[in-house]
Amino acid sequence: MTTKTWRLFWGSGPARIPLQNGVGRYVQQLQRITFKFCKTHGGSLGMREYIEKDLVEFARQNPGVVVYLKPRRHRSPCLKAEYLNGEDDYISTQKHTCEDIQKWVEYLRCRSGYPVEHLINYHHTDHPSIQGPWTPWLHRDHKLNVAQYPNEELSTAHKLEKTATEELMELYEKQKMLTEMEKTS
Amino acid sequence: MSAVGRVQQWATFGRMWYLFDAKWQNPFHSADKIKDILTGTHKPIYHDLNDCGDHVVVINSSEIALPGVEWEKRVYFHHTGYAKGASWTLAWQLHHKDPTMILRKTVYSKLSKNLLRRGRMEKLHIFPDDKIPDSILENVSAQLRQMRPIPKRLDHYTREEVEKFPKVFDWPKDYIIK
Repeated sequence: MTTKTWRLFWGSGPARIPLQNGVGRYVQQLQRITFKFCKTHGGSLGMREYIEKDLVEFARQNPGVVVYLKPRRHRSPCLKAEYLNGEDDYISTQKHTCEDIQKWVEYLRCRSGYPVEHLINYHHTDHPSIQGPWTPWLHRDHKLNVAQYPNEELSTAHKLEKTATEELMELYEKQKMLTEMEKTS
Repeated sequence: MSAVGRVQQWATFGRMWYLFDAKWQNPFHSADKIKDILTGTHKPIYHDLNDCGDHVVVINSSEIALPGVEWEKRVYFHHTGYAKGASWTLAWQLHHKDPTMILRKTVYSKLSKNLLRRGRMEKLHIFPDDKIPDSILENVSAQLRQMRPIPKRLDHYTREEVEKFPKVFDWPKDYIIK
């Protein structure tokens, strides 16, 4: 069973991000956010306050996000977010304060657009690493950094035992030495 | 994520390129080693859902050494799908047709049989001789050690060395070599 099938079946899965986003550079997944509100109703009071105080700053901070304002008479306020993967998200902000809306906007901005689902595995440790995560270059011999490839010295197998030729040469040398010693004595 | 953390993650998932010289090597033993690197099981961060396999560049695949009678007795089967489409090719014949095929087939059969198999095979680059395109060689940053030492052939010794070598045995003077 692939992870995709698992998700369809159980509605849960491991944490994921689109295309390793954030490793190297980060691509803003939120593309468009629409603030829907009423100009007169009390339920939209917090939303109107947010638009007056924080909205321009939000738009300036996030040039990649299109911000729409949609006033409509006597309807409850809401936030509508649309993402790069085509998904959209809707949050009702009826009778929410300005601070609440700030938090919801931040939530929508940071989302990847994938549906919210139960995590089947929580990556957690009580003892976080002091030295940092492993990398392929950890404890690597420094001479490998300047080696030219293909490199015969790095390639040849470790020699475990003597060859018959070497053993024969050793016997020959020993014999030669013995005869020389006999001659001198 | 902070800039340092981002670079740290980048380094952890960095992909290495290994060079392997297949000269005089048993392809069935070499494939075990290559397979581990293609799947990434040699890394401490290995996980099933984690795409952490490294690239392997194999050179001199035309000079592999099959053990025993494998050149004559090993048979590769192929079926075209049509009637009477079956064909059996001996290892030496296959090697004559494509000197990279035996090693490629061996690694393919050793990899786990799942959807990641083809993607892992794409990380294996086999060359029949030691000529590698510069675009691939510039990525190589480590070399895998061979599994067995390459013996030195008699015609690779100098004449002086051969003559200097102690004579263990000689034919009698009146012996006639047929």
